[in-house]
Amino acid sequence: MSPVIVVEQLVKYFGRRPALHGVSFTIADGEVIGLLGPNGSGKSTLLRILTGYLAPSAGRALVAGLDAQEESIALRRMIGYVPEDAPLYDGMRVGEFLTFMARIKGLTGPAVSAATAAAREQLRLDRVFDMPVGKLSRGYRQRVAIAQALLNAPRLLILDEPTNGLDAYQVIAVRDVIRALAGRCTIIVASHVLSEIERLASRVMILLDGALLTGDALNEAQPEQRYRLRIAGAEEVALASLSSVPGVVSATRAPPDGREPPAYVVAAGPSAGAALAAAAAGAGLGLAELVPLETDLESIFLELTRRKAGALAA
Amino acid sequence: MSAFAALLWKEEKALFTSPIAYVVLVVFLGTMGYSFTLTLFLTHAPSLVHIFYQVFVLFLLMTPVITMRLVAEERKLHTLELLLTNPVTETEVIVAKFLASLSLIVAMLALSLAYPVTLAIFGQPDWGPIYSGYLGLFLLGAALVGVGIATSSVASNQVVAALLSLSVFLSLWIIDDFGHLLPDPFNALVVNLSLSVHFTPFATGSLYLSDAGYFVSAALLGLFLAIRGLARR
Repeated sequence: MSPVIVVEQLVKYFGRRPALHGVSFTIADGEVIGLLGPNGSGKSTLLRILTGYLAPSAGRALVAGLDAQEESIALRRMIGYVPEDAPLYDGMRVGEFLTFMARIKGLTGPAVSAATAAAREQLRLDRVFDMPVGKLSRGYRQRVAIAQALLNAPRLLILDEPTNGLDAYQVIAVRDVIRALAGRCTIIVASHVLSEIERLASRVMILLDGALLTGDALNEAQPEQRYRLRIAGAEEVALASLSSVPGVVSATRAPPDGREPPAYVVAAGPSAGAALAAAAAGAGLGLAELVPLETDLESIFLELTRRKAGALAA
Repeated sequence: MSAFAALLWKEEKALFTSPIAYVVLVVFLGTMGYSFTLTLFLTHAPSLVHIFYQVFVLFLLMTPVITMRLVAEERKLHTLELLLTNPVTETEVIVAKFLASLSLIVAMLALSLAYPVTLAIFGQPDWGPIYSGYLGLFLLGAALVGVGIATSSVASNQVVAALLSLSVFLSLWIIDDFGHLLPDPFNALVVNLSLSVHFTPFATGSLYLSDAGYFVSAALLGLFLAIRGLARR
């Protein structure tokens, strides 16, 4: 698929403080991208540059062939953006707000009411359509913020921390909305919540300290396989025998979970299971359980940040 | 409705649904009604010259209240980000805010037309100074709103914006007193920055292009600075 977003060597300084340095990536049409990173890693800055709201200090961002800085008005016609914390005009009623947003997006005449009606139905805003925005719950506020972003049928939808501060039901509702939009447009969802990104994204990019750690965390990271072992015997002997197995990167005692014998977590190569069992048996320890753990985004994130910290230390 | 018309509608609605507009109108009309009645009974002259000077001072004090929230509030609530990630320019946003605020100034002046109407009913006023006085007040209002939006666009919050505007207005009001103390040619330069020096001819029935140019330039400079302030992010 052709790239809808091309970012080349993006740098952004706020005064002397670097927020982004040398970020480059491409995003294909129709992808659902999860942009992951801790608070302050530069996610919002990157998204604001993609929307044309912020100018980069160096480098460039192209969205559908349009330079985000030089052709920002044309670019803004084809994007939908949900800023962090859903800043809305609290004094307007929901319907009034959506009509206003449709008009500033360039819609006129019957297209305005058609777009607001479609957004109202899609985000299930019937109950609150005549309510003042300032009186809405956080969940409905977020839905209204997403609704306004969809009014111009955007080619690119950008959501900055869309589930921030929502309760579990509201998170599920917002997640369902984003899932329903997948395939209709390219979506970038920024979050610092790993489980959210894992559930939504087809590709995960990780930003750390203003630099792109990986453009495809799930495929590029290739972290070690993790195993959970329950071993009876002295902890020192168990850790020493597990650490002696070739390919083992780390072996640690898992936090107590009330079960006996105690559990250990080992990060090792993908076929180290048999060797770990043999090592435990060879040391005269009683192996009660050996389970390969599923590789999740959390372990990838931790592994990548550990590697980065290691590289910096070196 | 175009995007600009939608922005203008939003600003008008925000202004006229807030208590600020009505408090400003009530204070303005109350003060002016008292002044008009008192002046008329004391002088028995069908003239509005004194009234125009009092409106001049009231505008200096009230315009910061009208303009303080315009950009500072949107910046604080992050609604600027929502607005400016849509296909509207900084110029459209600022001009919409300017025109909406100016419409409140026009409403104040329109309601004060009761005074010349009263004079016309009970006397024979000289209409020349009345026309020029209202033109001067309109131009003064435009200049003050322009400068007020500029301070709102650089201030971190509404209170700072209001105090900054008030400081600028009061300085420009009395700067001619300071200017007269300076040697040639600095005195003329500084005296010509004065709001009152350029307003006096309007209030007394004299029209000079240079005075109108001063107020229009101040308004345009304010708008330019406000647009630059909005682009600073």
